[in-house]
Amino acid sequence: MVVRRLLNLPSKFLTAVQKISVLQHAISTHLPSRTGDPMPVQRNLDPIMHPFARARERTRALNAAKMERMFAKPFIAALEGHIDAVETLARRPESVTDVASGSWDGEIVLHNIARRVQVMKIPSAHKGKLSGLCWADESRLLSCGVDKSVKMWDIRRPVDTSSSEAGPSELKPSAVFPGKTPFNGVAHHWSDPVFATASNVVQIWDENKNSPVMDITFSTSAESVTSIRFNPSESSILASIGSDRTFTLYDIRTGRAERRIVMKMTSNDLSWSPTFPTSILLASEDHNLYTFDIRKLSQPSQIYKAHVAAVMSCDWSPTGTEFVSGGWDRTVRIWKEGKGTHPEVYHTKRMQRVLSTAFTADARFVLSGSDDGNVRIWKANASEKLGVVTARERAAIEYRDSLKERWKMDQEIGKVQRSRHIPKPVYKAAQLKRTMLEAQRVKEERRRKHTRAGESKPTAERKKVVLSEQT
Amino acid sequence: MENLVTKAKTSVPKSLRGYDPPPPGARRHSHITNSKLRIRLDKQAVQSARAQAMVKDAEMLASNEAGKFETEGQMERTWRISQDEIIKVIGAEAAKGRKEMVLEGGPYRVRYTRNGRHMAIVGQTGHVATFDWQTGTMHSEIQLRETCRDVTFLQDQSMYAVAQKKYVFMYDRDGVELHRLKSHLEPTRLEFLPFHWLLASVGLTGFLKYQDTSTGQIVAEHRTKLGACHTLAQNPHSAVLYLGHANGTVTLWTPNMSEPIVRLLTHLGPVNSVSIDSSSCGRYIATAGADGTVKVWDCRNWKGAVREWSSRGGAAQVEWSQRGLLAVASGGTINVHSRPSIYELFTTHVQPPLYLTHPIPHRPLVSLRFCPYQDILTVGHTLGLSSILVPGAGEPNFDSTEADPFEIRRTRREREVKGLLDKAILQIQPDMIVLDPDFIGSLAPQPKTDASSSSSVPFARLPRLARLQTSGKADETELDVDEDDSGSERDSEDAEQKTSLRREEEKKRMRGRNKSVKRYLRKQRKNVIDPKAIAIREKLRKDREARKQARDAANGSAPTAKYKPSVLDRFKRSA
Repeated sequence: MVVRRLLNLPSKFLTAVQKISVLQHAISTHLPSRTGDPMPVQRNLDPIMHPFARARERTRALNAAKMERMFAKPFIAALEGHIDAVETLARRPESVTDVASGSWDGEIVLHNIARRVQVMKIPSAHKGKLSGLCWADESRLLSCGVDKSVKMWDIRRPVDTSSSEAGPSELKPSAVFPGKTPFNGVAHHWSDPVFATASNVVQIWDENKNSPVMDITFSTSAESVTSIRFNPSESSILASIGSDRTFTLYDIRTGRAERRIVMKMTSNDLSWSPTFPTSILLASEDHNLYTFDIRKLSQPSQIYKAHVAAVMSCDWSPTGTEFVSGGWDRTVRIWKEGKGTHPEVYHTKRMQRVLSTAFTADARFVLSGSDDGNVRIWKANASEKLGVVTARERAAIEYRDSLKERWKMDQEIGKVQRSRHIPKPVYKAAQLKRTMLEAQRVKEERRRKHTRAGESKPTAERKKVVLSEQT
Repeated sequence: MENLVTKAKTSVPKSLRGYDPPPPGARRHSHITNSKLRIRLDKQAVQSARAQAMVKDAEMLASNEAGKFETEGQMERTWRISQDEIIKVIGAEAAKGRKEMVLEGGPYRVRYTRNGRHMAIVGQTGHVATFDWQTGTMHSEIQLRETCRDVTFLQDQSMYAVAQKKYVFMYDRDGVELHRLKSHLEPTRLEFLPFHWLLASVGLTGFLKYQDTSTGQIVAEHRTKLGACHTLAQNPHSAVLYLGHANGTVTLWTPNMSEPIVRLLTHLGPVNSVSIDSSSCGRYIATAGADGTVKVWDCRNWKGAVREWSSRGGAAQVEWSQRGLLAVASGGTINVHSRPSIYELFTTHVQPPLYLTHPIPHRPLVSLRFCPYQDILTVGHTLGLSSILVPGAGEPNFDSTEADPFEIRRTRREREVKGLLDKAILQIQPDMIVLDPDFIGSLAPQPKTDASSSSSVPFARLPRLARLQTSGKADETELDVDEDDSGSERDSEDAEQKTSLRREEEKKRMRGRNKSVKRYLRKQRKNVIDPKAIAIREKLRKDREARKQARDAANGSAPTAKYKPSVLDRFKRSA
C-alpha cells in the first residue's frame, strides 16, 4: 500500500506546488493478521516481473512428467484361485467390487477385489473348458462350457467352503440348459429373461424354457461363432464374431442376421461401447483392435496398433473414453478412445498370455486374467495416488497435469511421457514387426515406382480391414 | 509455484460449473472441416481469451501506485528539489529511507537481495556486514582484514559470497565461512544468476567463471583474453553477463559459448561501469568509461550509441532502476535521468534532462544500487554509504511468488526448495542462456527443403503439411494468423510489415509484357500440375522463342548453333 501524502507546502525556494510521494509498503497488509493464517499473496502479472517464466515452466513440466513416470506403479494385487488359465471375467452388475472369473478347468470364482478375497468358488462348474460367463442379474450367473451345457447359478445360496471337511459341498446350478454342440460364449439380455449362446449357430434361449427359442444363422455361414454380446442400449441388437473371420449383427425381433462383414483376420473378442450405442470394439488376431460404427461397416472408425501378438480380449471403461485390451504378447494395454497409438502398457514377469480383461465399474481399476491362472488388479491410471488426497495435493496434481498437457509437444518432455519400459521379447517382437512392415512398404513403393503412373495406388490402412460386407 | 498460492483451488467438475459464455474476443475456427480439431482449437481460443480478460482484471488489482515526483507549472524543474525538501514533504516514515552511514575502511560496495529487504556491504579493507535495513537488524558483521572487492547475496539472504584478495568465499547468514571457492582466482566482481543458481566471477586473471552453487560444479570457465576485468553486470531477463574491459570493449557471455556472443567497442579507454535496463527487458544498456563519457546503447542493433554525453568529474558509475530511471554517479554528484529522453536518439553530446540530482562530496563514488521495490538509491563511497530518495524508481507492485519483501521463514524455505526444483537436474540449463530467452517453447522454424524439391520422396512419406500443400488442402489462413499471434507486439509488427512488403512486391513487380498472365503463373502453386498453367507456360515459352528468332533475324545473325542438319533435309523444298 502506498501512503501518499500530498501536502501543499508553500516553499521559500519554489513558488509552485509540488507533488511528491515515495513508495511505502505498509507491513500490516502484507503479513498474516493472526498467527497461523496464510501469508497474503500479491500478484503482478507483468512479464517483466517474471524472467524465464517459460523456461521455468518447462522445467516444471519436465519434472511433472518425470514424477509421473516415477510414481507409475500400476500393479496392485494378483488374485489366486484358478489352477488353469482364466478364460473370462464378468463384472457383477450393481457392484463395484465383485467380479466372477471362469477358467479352462471349468471353475468359477467370485472375487471381491476391494478386500482381495474369494467370495465364492464353484470348483467344477463345467466339465472341460468353461468358455463363457455372464451375469443375468445381481445374483444369478450364467456359464457355458464345452460340455454342451449352459448353467445358471444363484449365488444367494451361500456355500461354506471352509467349514465342511468331508469334501467341499458344491453349489448346485439353479438351472441347466442342455445343448447339442459345445458352447463358445453366452450373453444375457440387458433387461429381459432372455440369453443368447454361441456355438456353431447363435441360439436365443428363454430362462424358463429348456430348449432354445430360436436359432439364428447367416445363410452362408458354416463355421463356429466364438463370442456374442448384446447391445446395452438397443437391447435387441446382438453382435457376434466367428472363426470364419466374420463379424455379424443380429436382431432378435426379426430373428435374422442383419449384416455381416468378412475381415482379413479373425477376431477374438468384442465389446459394445457403453456410451456410444453404435460403436463396437473388436480385438483381432492381426495384433490390432478396431472400433466400428455399425452404421458404416465398410471400414473401421479407428485402428488401434501396438500389440505385437494377437489381441485376446478387450473391454470398455464404463466412461466410454478408454478401453483395456489383453494380448497373447503377455501385456495389458489401456487405450484412449480415438487415439490409435501409444497405449499404456502393463506387464509383469510372471504374467503369461492375457486371455481376459475387464474394467471395474468405477473406471479406476483394470483386471486381467491370464494363462497362469491369476486375476491381476491394476490401476487404470498408472501414477494415480490411492487413498485420501488433500485439496492442496489435488491442486498440485491438477497443475502438474495441465503442465504435462501443455508441454507434451516438447521433445524431451514428450519423450519422457511416451517412453515405457517393456519386456525384451515384446520389444524385440515390436522391432521385428516394424522392420517387416517397413520392408513391405518399401517393396510396395518400389513396385509402384516401376508400374505405369496411377495404375497401383496405395490403399488406406482402414480400407484393407474389411474384405466384404454382406446383408 | 502453486504451493505458494495459499488456498488450494481444485477444478470444479464440469457438471457443477454452470454456463460461462465464451468471451467476445475468442477466435472461431469455422473454416476447419475436421470437427475434433475445430472443437479443440475453439476451446483453446476461448481459454486464451478468458485468460487475457483475467489478466486485465488482475492489472486492476495491482493498485499500488508508483512514487511521484512532479512539479506544477512548466517552468519548475524536479531536479531543483533537494533531498531535504523531499523529506519534508513525504513524512517521517518514508523519510527513513534517507540515510547516511559513516563507516571506516571504505570505499564501500553495496548489494541488495532480490526482494530489496536485505543489504550487504563490503569495505575495501575487509569490513563485511549484512543486515535487514528496514528493521535495522544486523545478520552478520565480520572483519576479514584483507582486500575485499565485491559482495553478493546468493539465492536469498541466508548466504552470501565475498570476492576477497585471492579467492571467493561463501558465508552463511551469521557470517560463518562455508566455502572457499579456490578456482575463482583474484576475483574482482561477482554476480549471482538466481534462476540458474550460478555464481559468476571475473578477476584480475581475466577469466570469467561460472560455478553452480547448488551442486558445487564449475559449469564454465571462459578466458576473456582481455586482461584484468573490473566491470561485470547481468541481464536479469536472459542471464547473459556483460563484461567491461580495459581496452574499452564490452563483451557478452553465456556459459555454453567460449567466445563472447557480442563484442562491442564502447569507449576509448577502460570501461568503468555497465548497467542493463531491466524495465525494457534488457533492450538498453548504459556504459560509462574512464574517458568520462556515458553512453546508452540499443541492444537490438549495436550500431553506435543511442545517446552519449560526458559526465563531469571523470569516470562515472551507472545504474538503472526497476522503472527505468538511470542514475549516473560521477565526480561528487549523482544525477538521475528519467525514461523517454534517455532512449531518444540525439546526435549532439548533451546530457539528457535531469530528473534529480544530489551532491555527495566523498569521492570516489564506487557503487550504485537501487533498492528493489523501494524508491531508494544507495551509493557506496569512501566515507561509507548514503541512501537517497528517488521518487518513482521502484516497482510498486511486487509479485510474492517471485520476490516478497515481507516473506517469513516458512515462505523463504519454500521458495528455496521450489527454486531448486525449477532449476532441476538439467537446470534451466546453462546452455539455455541465450540472448532471447523466449525461444523455449516457441515453434521450430519451417524446414528449408520444400516439398517440390524432394521429388524422390513418395507422397505417403512426406510430412503432413507438405502432403496437404501438395493436395491443395493446407490451411494457409491459419499459418498467417499464427505468425501474427506469436511473439511480442514488436514481433507481430515486424511480421506484419514483412507480409505487407511481400504483398506489395507481388503487386508492384509488373514490368515487361504479358503482366497478368505472368502474375497468374506466379500465384499458381509450383508443385501443383495444372493443365491450364502448363498450357500457358508452353505458350509463353513459344512466344519467347519466336521473339528471340525475330530479334536474331533483325540483327542478321542466323541462329547457327540451333540448326541441326538432318538426313531428311534433301527432301526439303528450296524456298
